[in-house]
Amino acid sequence: MTDLDASDPRTLPGFFDALAEGELLGGVCADCGQVLLPPRPACYACGSRAVDVEPQSPGGTIFSYTEVHAAPPAFAADAPYTVAVVELADGGRLLGRVDADYADVAIGDPVELTVQEPTAEQREAALDYEADWPVHRFELR
Amino acid sequence: MPEPVIASVGASPIGRTDLPGRDLFSIALAEAFDGLPDPAELVEAVYVGNQSESYEHQIMHGTLLAEWAGLRHVPAERVEGCAAAGALALRHAVKDVRNGDHEAVLACGVEKMTSAGTSGATDALSAAFDRAIEQRSGVTAPSQYALLAQRYLHETDATERDLAEIAVKNHANAARNPRAQFPKEIDVDTVLESNPVASPLKLYDCAPVGDGAAAVLVTSAELAEDLGRPQVRVAGSGASANNIAVAERDMTDIAGARIAAETAYEEAGIDADAVDIAEVHDAFTVCEALLAEAAGFAPSEMGYQSYLDPAKRADGWTDVRLSPSGGLKARGHPIGATGLLQALEAYEQLTGAAGDRAVEGADTALLLNEGGVADAVTVGHVLTTAEGAR
Ligand SMILES: [Zn+2]
Repeated sequence: MTDLDASDPRTLPGFFDALAEGELLGGVCADCGQVLLPPRPACYACGSRAVDVEPQSPGGTIFSYTEVHAAPPAFAADAPYTVAVVELADGGRLLGRVDADYADVAIGDPVELTVQEPTAEQREAALDYEADWPVHRFELR
Repeated sequence: MPEPVIASVGASPIGRTDLPGRDLFSIALAEAFDGLPDPAELVEAVYVGNQSESYEHQIMHGTLLAEWAGLRHVPAERVEGCAAAGALALRHAVKDVRNGDHEAVLACGVEKMTSAGTSGATDALSAAFDRAIEQRSGVTAPSQYALLAQRYLHETDATERDLAEIAVKNHANAARNPRAQFPKEIDVDTVLESNPVASPLKLYDCAPVGDGAAAVLVTSAELAEDLGRPQVRVAGSGASANNIAVAERDMTDIAGARIAAETAYEEAGIDADAVDIAEVHDAFTVCEALLAEAAGFAPSEMGYQSYLDPAKRADGWTDVRLSPSGGLKARGHPIGATGLLQALEAYEQLTGAAGDRAVEGADTALLLNEGGVADAVTVGHVLTTAEGAR
């Protein structure tokens, strides 16, 4: 781990560089199989530091969801919008915006991860090192 | 080992005030030291629970509040754990006394949440979420808890009306609490018809934004005796972190809180059914249901019955009374002070100072204070005046 640098997908820059290319990378614990999104140096489930990095399927299902009415300033223009926790096909869980009205979403609905450039508002709200990081969203399938 | 006790408590008014944090602290401190020697004659260390520097553009709360208390050259530090900061401050004070490092430690908490309006508070609270994924997806505190609530309603027989009834119960408790931010009763339709904030949660499912400070003096039992103060033993303390991202946790088994509670019980040498009253972290109504289960008061999927009289709850429930203060929902939730306001309520309940909201016969309390979303970090304390408990 001493050679960890910003090209390594176990760092955020490395993870988001891959995501910008359309690839969702997860950490996968070599000892217990836990999927870690984004990848990180250690497994929260068992404590192992033997974490592999593997591409994750973009498909999944809605695990829980809600509608944001009072949004943070950078997202105010979009409100109300839908946010969900999605259980991905390979076992990891990831939170993200859903491109659908709240009333059209239900637990168990199939969704697919998509990747977008940050909007002007998101760039405005970003820290310097985050400015080019893409933003993932989910579309109903 | 010295036995840590709470020897005195104080609080500022809670809600929208015209006073900055340090002045709210001065009010809380004055109440806690009413009839006692000055802090400089007693206090050997200070811990300050404080959520965010963004409200007052101020860090260094340890130094600042020690100075405002007339203390100089004592160890003093701010403790950070979002809304669990207050109980973390209490936990540090308790450990210092138990270890014999200090005989008297001031655990205090302060938050000036109304300084930048609702959007300022929304922004400050969002810093508790994972930056990389959660913050950049536009979630808010209510929407994070709504994800828990949606899942809870999906997995259990609970309904939005049940969650609303928790708010109604806590407002009824607050109506008898002169310290409460909202000391007024409400009916269930008021909750159900209030504006959606993050579906299925509505405005009245949410604890309010407010200013406030609290001060709790932790001493050895011996010193409290010498001071002639009613004392409540801190018999157990537990803390547990969980994943920062909600998505990666079990969203209906609040494991961090369960571990914090179990650790505190074990240290105190009691089981959940010995607890008479519990101040739990009902930042949103669903939290009270989830925490009733995590604390071992309710069977799995039955925590939503917390608003019912003990005799009407499902089999397997204890007869605990939850949130006699009115909880975060109605007593108020000035973030960094909240964990200490919970301790204050338990101290008043267990020393016969709770007036007409007193829970008859109560001698043991559990406090569960959470920070971040739900159990990102949880701190549990068992407070007791019972003989036999450790
Ligand atoms: Zn593992």
